[in-house]
Amino acid sequence: MAEEKDLAKIKEAVKRHKKEVYVPVVPEMQLGFIHNNVDCIGCRACEIACKDKNGLAPGPRFRNVMYVEGGAFPDVYAYKVNMSCNHCAEPACLPTCPTGAIFKRKKDGIVDIDSTLCIGCRRCEAACPYGAPQFIPERNIVSKCNMCVDEIDAGRKPYCVQACMMRVLDIGDIDKLRAGTWVTKAMASHEKPVGAVKNMANPELTKPSIVFVAHSKAVVK
Amino acid sequence: MSASKYDLHAIAERLNNAARRDFLKTTAAGAGVMAAGGLIDLAAPREAKAFAYEPYPTDDQLTTVVTSCAHNCGSRHVLVAHKKGDVIVRLSTDDGRYQKDGHFGKDTFEEPQLRACLRGRSYRQRLYSAERLLYPMGRVGKRGEGKFKRISWDEALGYVSKKMIEIKDKYGPTALLDQSYAGASYGVLHKSDQIEGLLGRFMGMFGCRTNSWSVPSYQGTTTSSRWTFGTIEDGNEDDAFAHSKLIIMWGWNPAYTFHGGNTFYYMRLAKQNGCKFVLVDPQYTDSGAAYDTWWIPIKPNTDAAMMAGMAHYIFTNNLHDQQFIDKFCMGMDAGTMPEWAGSTPNGKENFKDYILGKYDGVAKTPEWASEICGVPAADIKKLAHMYATTKPAALKASWAPGRNAYGEQYNRMAAALQAMTGNIGILGGCAEGVGKAWHAEAVAYPYDQYANTWFASIKSDRWAHCVLNYPNVKREEIGLWPRQDATDGQIPNIKGIFWQGSDWFNQLTNINKEIEAIKKLELVVCMDSTITPSGLWADVLLPVSTHFERHDVALPWYKGHYYIHRPKVIEPLGESKTDFQIFTELAWRIGGPTFGRAYNPKASREYFHYNDAVDEAYLREWWEHKVMAHQGVTMPWEEFKRLGVYKFKLDKPHVAFREQIENGKRFDTPSGKIEILSTELAYIGDWTKTKYGSHIPSIPKWIEPWESLNHPKTKEYPFHLITPHPRHRTHSIFANCSWLQETFEQECTINASDAKKLGVATGDTVEVWNERGKVVVPVYVTERVMPGVVVIHEGAWMQLDENGVDRGGNPDFLTLDEPSPAGSFAYNTVLVNIRKTELEHNPGWDKTSISRSQVFRRDN
Ligand code: SF4
Ligand code: SF4
Ligand code: SF4
Repeated sequence: MAEEKDLAKIKEAVKRHKKEVYVPVVPEMQLGFIHNNVDCIGCRACEIACKDKNGLAPGPRFRNVMYVEGGAFPDVYAYKVNMSCNHCAEPACLPTCPTGAIFKRKKDGIVDIDSTLCIGCRRCEAACPYGAPQFIPERNIVSKCNMCVDEIDAGRKPYCVQACMMRVLDIGDIDKLRAGTWVTKAMASHEKPVGAVKNMANPELTKPSIVFVAHSKAVVK
Repeated sequence: MSASKYDLHAIAERLNNAARRDFLKTTAAGAGVMAAGGLIDLAAPREAKAFAYEPYPTDDQLTTVVTSCAHNCGSRHVLVAHKKGDVIVRLSTDDGRYQKDGHFGKDTFEEPQLRACLRGRSYRQRLYSAERLLYPMGRVGKRGEGKFKRISWDEALGYVSKKMIEIKDKYGPTALLDQSYAGASYGVLHKSDQIEGLLGRFMGMFGCRTNSWSVPSYQGTTTSSRWTFGTIEDGNEDDAFAHSKLIIMWGWNPAYTFHGGNTFYYMRLAKQNGCKFVLVDPQYTDSGAAYDTWWIPIKPNTDAAMMAGMAHYIFTNNLHDQQFIDKFCMGMDAGTMPEWAGSTPNGKENFKDYILGKYDGVAKTPEWASEICGVPAADIKKLAHMYATTKPAALKASWAPGRNAYGEQYNRMAAALQAMTGNIGILGGCAEGVGKAWHAEAVAYPYDQYANTWFASIKSDRWAHCVLNYPNVKREEIGLWPRQDATDGQIPNIKGIFWQGSDWFNQLTNINKEIEAIKKLELVVCMDSTITPSGLWADVLLPVSTHFERHDVALPWYKGHYYIHRPKVIEPLGESKTDFQIFTELAWRIGGPTFGRAYNPKASREYFHYNDAVDEAYLREWWEHKVMAHQGVTMPWEEFKRLGVYKFKLDKPHVAFREQIENGKRFDTPSGKIEILSTELAYIGDWTKTKYGSHIPSIPKWIEPWESLNHPKTKEYPFHLITPHPRHRTHSIFANCSWLQETFEQECTINASDAKKLGVATGDTVEVWNERGKVVVPVYVTERVMPGVVVIHEGAWMQLDENGVDRGGNPDFLTLDEPSPAGSFAYNTVLVNIRKTELEHNPGWDKTSISRSQVFRRDN
């Protein structure tokens, strides 16, 4: 249904649009994830809990437990790196969205996509260095982890965290997590969190809100 | 599109200020109530805003119903249904709220949350699957062709009851084979089970039942535990593992099986307390990785030899606990031999002298063991030293190495090691074995002398052999259980099979032989919630409601001390009925009120249509007369129903045989001791008259299996196949769930050096075959499995092509239906060959639902 275009209006809109400058939201407190690469058994209960929560068909995965293995028989090692959306401080996805469907919450830094605005152009999918945005073909939209905002707003934790049989996945105030002062079962008292491991894109790209207890072979020098 | 959606002012506001549009705001009823113990210091008020993915009901807008998972995985976890009307919208799990004094986030050492695994979490896919059986179906094609038409309950049950009577009259009381199994198990009321389930009692009362006595998962282990300790309750509760200083995981992979509600988690706590872990396994499993283990790769089926080598090291270095041996063991050494032993036909030897080589001239040294098991002698010594000198140490001798030729010898050898190091009956030690721990009140269904009545009982994996060779079958070939009456030794004339909670046709060994046998039967009935590979071979399919659609209480399978209420969460789908309804109605049809009332005393015939009040009555009675009466529970039934979960708090960690060791209580064996020398076995002279069928030494010994990597047969079949439990299925259950198919694929795991020789790489498809069958699977190349060993997980749904090749990759086309004397299934005693193939693997019945599993499978 082609609409009559009003040239004046378009010009006005372009002018207005050009003036928009994106200033990243600085949240009052940034929530982020912690994952213990070593103690994780790779069971993927977190993944399935997420798929069920978000009603995802096979294919798109908001959370992805990566399996890493190496060495030569019998001297081998294996560990897991578990990532979803990292609700980055400088989200690469957000400014690429032509409709402004992606937004970052002020109070806790959660990055979410408003599905009513998403037109399925998949730019965010291309922009994210961690592969978080997932295309949902049946609905022609992109969707991703929103840290289960509904659960957060109800004072609970995300489905994946609550699913973890080993209690190695958790969320918290990312600053405190980084400082090692956040109380969490994901980490033993002698363990130290790190902001990056091998097998992930350079965190300098977006400043992701995630820390890991790294496997010795995953440590980034 | 309304213009407002593209209002740039609105967008600008969104970009820089996270305020949500007003029309998205709703206030969720009940939100905020569960804040206690919660998360983050998020400021109140807690106003749940609607989701960005409209329309999306939040949990607090849905009805919450607490229930549990229900299969034979070795565990039992909480599932919480969030439903709208009669539809389950999503599932969550225990979060600490659904128990007495519970609150969100409560997860203590004493009362840990019972968090469901990936299978449980995908339950909606099973519940609402395309494979769900909704109506009774009658076969219209040839048997196994998979063609059925919908029939009424009246037709279905009319046919089944008529055939049952006909078969019993014509062929006698052994003509119907009970192949019920634990696939829909461990409700206290709606129980499917091999020995004492609802089907067994129904057939026993009917007077026609051949029982299948050997348990596929762990018969070798069971027999070993019974001989040695007199019980299968040789397990500690899972929190006891947190107290170990050394845990040896022998063929044990809790990261896949989730055996025990929280065992794997308590082991993590042990690790944090400085516990060391060792993995003896042909594979470096995910358990191996997560617990930072010292991996000792071992040739499959040679475990008993390695353990004998360890025993030799411990004895000869005087590291054994002689005091413990003298006090608690029989037959460990010359000093603990009973006087009577010398005059028995089979009981003259003691364990230590066997190990030292006194009888056969072969000392079972680590060097001797190394030749057999492929583990360097130095490693055997090192492990033996560690185990004998670290206190307390848990040697967890898991079931898998027992699913082998002479698997029982492995478990008995492990028990000998546990005993000689004094690690039995102490906190942090381990006598497992079977590993059943806390004793639950398990029976709410009617239970009487008919609960396990049978007229013949055979080794479960010998049914096809029996059917195909009848009447020219010797009793020892089928492990016929002795009877005390004139029918002792009579070979059952099997003409019909019942499957209840059982996919045994897909799950027992040597499926091609089963396919031959099933053609000879006159009645095959399958009762299940979904169509299964077995169901395709049935004459009548009876739709059984899942545990979401019937009232019950769940109990832990193996470890854990709790009950979980299972209300009827939703109405039964389609025309499905509970097993109990079906058997009750069949009883009424066959024997009128006499049989009907005897089978289900609380019900009238109306039960087939209205079962709620009767089920409630059974469950309430069980709670009040068993749980409250025997287990010190004061919580009323109504309160338990309201809360959902009852967690027991034990005064001290439950450790098997603590009473025996601390207070001198007798063991449940004939001698009252830990029987390294088995009294029962010592006295046996004529083995053909026993259920074992052939000779078993009275002490643990290494016996060469009929095939292994040390066998000349490796010229033709150079690879040893093991078939462990998968993570993404409970045996064959959940095989049709696409979420799970996405997490792992059915594949053949092979060492990189072997793959190189065969010219295959990850992503290629191979055919794996031996003289019994052929399967087609993708190959996964890794350094994490021992060269010469290949792994295919059991439970894939078979999919035969026109040439009888299984494209689904079910390894039981390759396994042998030759059980060990004590009944161990030989699931892991298989030699095969492999080659690259052009044949296509078929990952599922519904190909379109199979997603990009390979794409996500692994990263390097
Ligand atoms: S926070 Fe929620 S949406 Fe994000 S990965 Fe976890 S379960 Fe999925
Ligand atoms: S649920 Fe926990 S242990 Fe399992 S894969 Fe996810 S993070 Fe790892
Ligand atoms: S471990 Fe067993 S009971 Fe627990 S959720 Fe998984 S399948 Fe269900």
